[in-house]
Amino acid sequence: MPAEKATGIVVRTTDWSETSRIATIWTRELGKVSVLAKGGRRLKSNFEVALDLLTVCGIVLLRKSSGGLDLLTEAQVVERFAGLRTNLPALYAGYYIAELLGEGTQDYDPHPKLFDSSLDTLRKLSAGGDPSALVAGYELEWLAELGLKPILDRCAHCGTQRLDTGMIAMSPMAGGVVCGPCGKEFNDRRTVSMDGLVCLNELVMGEHPAVGREVREVLGFYISSVLGRRPRMLNFIAVG
Amino acid sequence: MSDQPVGVIARLIQELTKLPGVGPKSAERMAHFLLAGDRHNCILLAEALESVATNVRPCGQCFNLTEGELCSVCRDPRREPGTICVVETPRDLAMFERTGSFRGLYHVLGGRLAPLDNVGPEKLTFDPLLKRVQRGGVREVILATSPTMEGDGTALFASNMLAVTGVNITRLARGLPSGSSLEIANSQMLADALEGRRAF
Repeated sequence: MPAEKATGIVVRTTDWSETSRIATIWTRELGKVSVLAKGGRRLKSNFEVALDLLTVCGIVLLRKSSGGLDLLTEAQVVERFAGLRTNLPALYAGYYIAELLGEGTQDYDPHPKLFDSSLDTLRKLSAGGDPSALVAGYELEWLAELGLKPILDRCAHCGTQRLDTGMIAMSPMAGGVVCGPCGKEFNDRRTVSMDGLVCLNELVMGEHPAVGREVREVLGFYISSVLGRRPRMLNFIAVG
Repeated sequence: MSDQPVGVIARLIQELTKLPGVGPKSAERMAHFLLAGDRHNCILLAEALESVATNVRPCGQCFNLTEGELCSVCRDPRREPGTICVVETPRDLAMFERTGSFRGLYHVLGGRLAPLDNVGPEKLTFDPLLKRVQRGGVREVILATSPTMEGDGTALFASNMLAVTGVNITRLARGLPSGSSLEIANSQMLADALEGRRAF
């Protein structure tokens, strides 16, 4: 059983016994892994303080073939986001990223681009960036990386680019924005204004527009539909 | 056929497995240990458990565990009421009491803010803390939550909530433990110690 090395973000921790801890780490190389860190709660251990939520750490693990928890043998802090500890909206946004990573992806399904994007967003949050804009941009990147990027430049159903007539809406079932006539065919639609659509397109382009309540709600609705439940942290995300 | 265990021994084993870190085999060993020894000890244990379950409740002021209306710390007239140390659990409070160096009062939150685990502010005792401080007579609130991301988040929430009262809010120092050596300190301990250094 060879040891494997990876770099990951701690997205969940649970105390297992007086001294051990179970952690879910979202790694760049292996994707999501759940590990048992024996002695992980001790002050002096091979894990230092790396197993704290939203800490980036370098890890060494032994993979279990039986389907049980992998065994963590070493962990070292690579990066911590000190700014999250002094800014509650930024911390909640960080938790939301952890929730999307931990519960919206499968075990051992690596997405290096999503890892880099998560790291970048956490750094910007820690540096005092606008949580609502950063979270909205991250949600669209998360959807894109999972193959669920919403179509925003034309009707996802009929393909028309004339979206400026009638009531437009977002529909997860259609796979993006739908024009007025097509919208009636999708029960899961959520109305969105032209300003909201412009904002969403700017977010896709990597810009950081002010994200209002409408866009926040549309994205939250879209993410909830994809996950099959409303993310716990969604209520805590500030509206810019 | 039901897969529930039958008989009093099986029931005892089943109850013991509810304890943290106790699996079915450990529970079985404990049950047989109790049965093999003096039966009077079994009865004493059962009485102690029943007494705890019936009589222990949260303190009306600080939410520490107590048998009366107020806990022994809140009842003690020698304690300094102007300083409140906010801790996560009664266990943390007991740790502070063991040091013997804190003479103020406490407030037990009942856990830490962990929205990812569905523990929001409404599940902790933030409101009673705010009311307690607003009643007056409190000069300093020491936020003694764990030095983890969730512990810091809890302290941050409490700090934002208490800011309106104008009370002096402090956070526990962090860094090197007394009596240790630099060799065994990890990088984060050293970084915290450097950041929190003070005039000598």
